[in-house]
Amino acid sequence: MVLAALTWATPPSTSGPASQTGNQARDPEGLREANRVLEEEIRLAAHPQIYLLLNLPDRSIVIKGRGIELRRLPISAWQAIEERAMVGVFRLRARPQVARPKATPLDDPAQDPIELKDMPVAYELLFDPTLAVTVAPPFQDRPWLWAMGLMRDSWTKTVSWIRSTAAPDENASSPCLRLTLSVEAAQSLAWSVTDGMPLVIRRTTPQ
Amino acid sequence: MKCFPSLPLLVLVGILLLPASHLRAPSEAEGNVAGLESHKQTDASESSRLVARHVALQHQLAQQAPAGHYIVVDTARNRLSIIRRQEVLLTALASTGSGTILNDPDRPGTRWIFDTPRGEFTIQSKLTNPIWVKPDWAFLEEGLGIPTDAEHRLEPGVLGDYALGFGKGYFIHGTLYARLLGQNVTHGCIRLNDDDLQRVYQLSKVGTTVMIF
Repeated sequence: MVLAALTWATPPSTSGPASQTGNQARDPEGLREANRVLEEEIRLAAHPQIYLLLNLPDRSIVIKGRGIELRRLPISAWQAIEERAMVGVFRLRARPQVARPKATPLDDPAQDPIELKDMPVAYELLFDPTLAVTVAPPFQDRPWLWAMGLMRDSWTKTVSWIRSTAAPDENASSPCLRLTLSVEAAQSLAWSVTDGMPLVIRRTTPQ
Repeated sequence: MKCFPSLPLLVLVGILLLPASHLRAPSEAEGNVAGLESHKQTDASESSRLVARHVALQHQLAQQAPAGHYIVVDTARNRLSIIRRQEVLLTALASTGSGTILNDPDRPGTRWIFDTPRGEFTIQSKLTNPIWVKPDWAFLEEGLGIPTDAEHRLEPGVLGDYALGFGKGYFIHGTLYARLLGQNVTHGCIRLNDDDLQRVYQLSKVGTTVMIF
């Protein structure tokens, strides 16, 4: 009974404390995973491009180029489905849509630019090979958007479940990530990503 | 669909198993203890190998960084920095692309998106006293007809004392509108004030890496 209560009361799969990274670096599995990510990074950093490193043990998203950290965005919380499948390089299909103002002749261009605050705070990023990353603000910041994010996430899970049930042998495991980011971090991520941008994920539980 | 194991459940199972393994150890045959020692040694050597590999990979990744100065532009916060290794030599307030769209009324389907390009570039040209060659959109914005004569496109004195080209017609240059620095107001170029522009000009050379995100 106590076990059941403990199990139920604990938020599922929320990442551990930041100190987990240090522990992971000392254990062989953690080192293997860190080395795998470094190998991916070396390949990406050899080319003139900006890429993303999603570091789940560290709870951070790092924008990088040539292996250099350009910006770090903290992750408040995350949940993953099929985390073990999150290996290799994923490429963003399309950046989040934003309504671009139309410039009109003789207008002051400073009047209506797109700014960081215009970027969405709840959205879904789809990658190839198949990976869905949903981003939502913490409940206390934007309850409505948080709930919307949860619904979108549930829908993704349901579709994934239906597909895996209908065709158990074909692509049964579509990895999904739900990230809870502060409003500023969510908008910064939406701003910084570009079509085709590569993503590498450092996992907590390598298999 | 995967179900996530609960952390408390795993901890509890671990706690239950731990004393049992302690109790079992003394009763193991000597050969098994020797096997355990050998296993520990193998683990230690595997760990050492992994650590050595980790250090080597980190070193390999660090070698991908530009050797000299490089420029980083944060278009969300409108900041330009010049960095050498891990030392920030300059951080300047900049203006970057407005993200707006301009449609050409005379050519349906033709439009310009005023974004600062993202990615990695290199400085391709360094100009002093640059003269702006006005593109078509600049005339449309002003409500003017597009000239057929190239001479009518030349406009000196609006780009500041220096301009550093980083490809596809984009430049880091000066501005007459210093009050707008820190805002996304440009047509894609990166504007700086006079002092910062001079510093960037001095610290950069053709081939300097520019990372824009």
